Amino acid sequence: MLRLENLVKTFGALRAVDGVSIEIRPGEVFGLLGPNGAGKSTTLAMAVGLTAPDSGRVEITGHGSPTSPSSRRVLGIAPQALALYHDLTAEENLRFFGRLYGLRGSALKGRVDTVLAMVGLGDRRRDRVKTYSGGMQRRLNLAAALVHDPALVLLDEPTAGVDPQSRNNILDLVRLLASQGRTIVYTTHYMEEAQKLCTRVGIIDKGRLLGVGTVDELIARHGGKAVVTIERDDGAERVESDDPMVVVAKAAAAGGTLRGVRIDRPDLESVFLAMTGRRLRD
Amino acid sequence: MNAIVALALKDLKLLLRDRANAFFTFVFPLALAVFFGYVFSGMYGSGGEGVGQLPIAVVDLSGGPESRAFLADLQADAALEVTLAATQAEGEALVKKKKVGACVVIPEGFDEAAGALFAGKTLEVRAYVDPTRGAEGGLLTGKLNELAFRRMQGAFTDPAAMRKSLDNSRAALDQSDAIDPAQKALLFDMFDSITKAQGGLAAAPDGANAQGGFNGWKPIQVTVEKLEFTTAGRAMPTSSYAVSFPQGVVWGLLGCVMAFAVSLAGERAAGTLLRLTVAPIGKGAILAGKALACFLACLLVQCLLLLLAIGPFKVRVPDWGVMLLVVVLTSFAFTGLMMLLAGLARTEGAAQGLGRAVVLILAMIGGGTIPLFILPAGVQTFSKVSPFTWATISLEGALWRGYAWPDMILPGAVLLAFGLVGFVVGVSAMRWSSST
Repeated sequence: MLRLENLVKTFGALRAVDGVSIEIRPGEVFGLLGPNGAGKSTTLAMAVGLTAPDSGRVEITGHGSPTSPSSRRVLGIAPQALALYHDLTAEENLRFFGRLYGLRGSALKGRVDTVLAMVGLGDRRRDRVKTYSGGMQRRLNLAAALVHDPALVLLDEPTAGVDPQSRNNILDLVRLLASQGRTIVYTTHYMEEAQKLCTRVGIIDKGRLLGVGTVDELIARHGGKAVVTIERDDGAERVESDDPMVVVAKAAAAGGTLRGVRIDRPDLESVFLAMTGRRLRD
Repeated sequence: MNAIVALALKDLKLLLRDRANAFFTFVFPLALAVFFGYVFSGMYGSGGEGVGQLPIAVVDLSGGPESRAFLADLQADAALEVTLAATQAEGEALVKKKKVGACVVIPEGFDEAAGALFAGKTLEVRAYVDPTRGAEGGLLTGKLNELAFRRMQGAFTDPAAMRKSLDNSRAALDQSDAIDPAQKALLFDMFDSITKAQGGLAAAPDGANAQGGFNGWKPIQVTVEKLEFTTAGRAMPTSSYAVSFPQGVVWGLLGCVMAFAVSLAGERAAGTLLRLTVAPIGKGAILAGKALACFLACLLVQCLLLLLAIGPFKVRVPDWGVMLLVVVLTSFAFTGLMMLLAGLARTEGAAQGLGRAVVLILAMIGGGTIPLFILPAGVQTFSKVSPFTWATISLEGALWRGYAWPDMILPGAVLLAFGLVGFVVGVSAMRWSSST
């Protein structure tokens, strides 16, 4: 669906994106995981044709360059900034963006109704955006990316700075979009979100793509072993193992009183730590 | 095209919903125009009141003692400041050059008429006034009637002049074939009676003659005509509102330029420009939509102010075709200026700063604060760098400078050039994202 080939982008002395190549398959939710300033947004900007790469190439399968009109019709982007008109109502914002994609009349009205329902803002549709909470604005930002019914949706940090309710709403929405067969590119620095939502994940840091795969593949490759902590009356024992359940079974069979057992499986945080020597939120 | 219209309508809606922008674009210019129109209502045209000494040119084509006496009366009048002119053309030229407010002509035959009033002659005085000085024209009409009447009255109270007048009248009556002999006889009897009575008048003291028996008789004709002003640049405003409304338009245009330039920079910062850029409409359409919105707002503010000017404030538009051209060209020029400002300014703050530092100054020297024709010559020349100056000149041209189509060639071309340069430079300098 979307192919990025060896993308390079520099801003002055800063090499913001350094040779990133990814092929995103139709219908998958692809997570681009990395800390702030890793190059996620710049990669996304090149993917939608907003920023021209210094070198490399972007292709929307079947449509060519992302700047071609046909590519733009299948692309929907929710930028990290709230790209909305705050003095317009939610409905006016969506109607305006829909018209830019050629929607008219009942088709436009239908899409506006649909996306407002999807993000749970139907009852506030006639209120001006400036009266919304941050979370509601974030949901409307997402709705604006969907009003023209795009096949490829790019979400840049869609849950940044939102309340738990809006966060859950957005995550549910991403699942819904995925179930409808849309291809989703999702950038985040929240490991949990990538782990919950994404079919595949790309780890990016300092402009370089460090690894791509399913969550399990990445963990298996880079996450290290699970850590089993067994607590007895005389103290606690930590054991690293590829198969923690075997360790737990052996501890139970060894006799004595087990006061507690904790299994710490490797996650994407472990993967990132293993790959970069830093934590995601450092 | 639909996307461009959608973009323009969105921007106009945002302009109207932003109270500060809407105020400075539509309400403030109107308030300013009304305020200055009221404050200076004594300075121009029909709105003028409390006129001081009126400068006039006087042409004496009669050259006799009566006309010289009349001229002396004019010169002695405290309300008038008299400049002598040799010919009527010379006097009219002084009016057109604004040296005087009117040209008074004492025609040939004035002395003859003064000496034959009983023979049906009329004491005639003509005046040609500056059409933009309505109040002074009215004053002059009254003043000329008063002085001509005084001259005629003086002739009746002067025994020698009276006798001469009666003799002249008797001779004219004698030569006339048009009058019935019986009527002639009656008139001759009346002249004889007056001559006899005149002996008593001659002997009476001066004060006793003041209320003579001819007080109600006024065989005087004072004709006041307005001069036609067709030469551009020499006219004066017909009213103070004809000056203040172009000033208001300047501030309205400034409001439009600032609002849309800042909004474009703001869209870049807020990210909405990014969303517009990824839509399948092209950058040209985005800019066209923004330009269309600004153009429509400029048209709207001008039309609104003009409607109010010609409605409640009775400002006259001599040629609506010229006015339409001015409004369209001005809107184009200021849309170009908006694009220039939006292209050069990277952020909202920069757009506002440029607006304050440059555009506000250009508006102030371009007729926004002080009417252009009042500015010193040097400042007027310098102010030509401002598009506001050309907008003001054009608007004043259409309102009261008497511009015809040919007069619009220069200001129209300059406005067009300002617009085009603004578009080209602004679009070339435009940045589409805040990071590049």
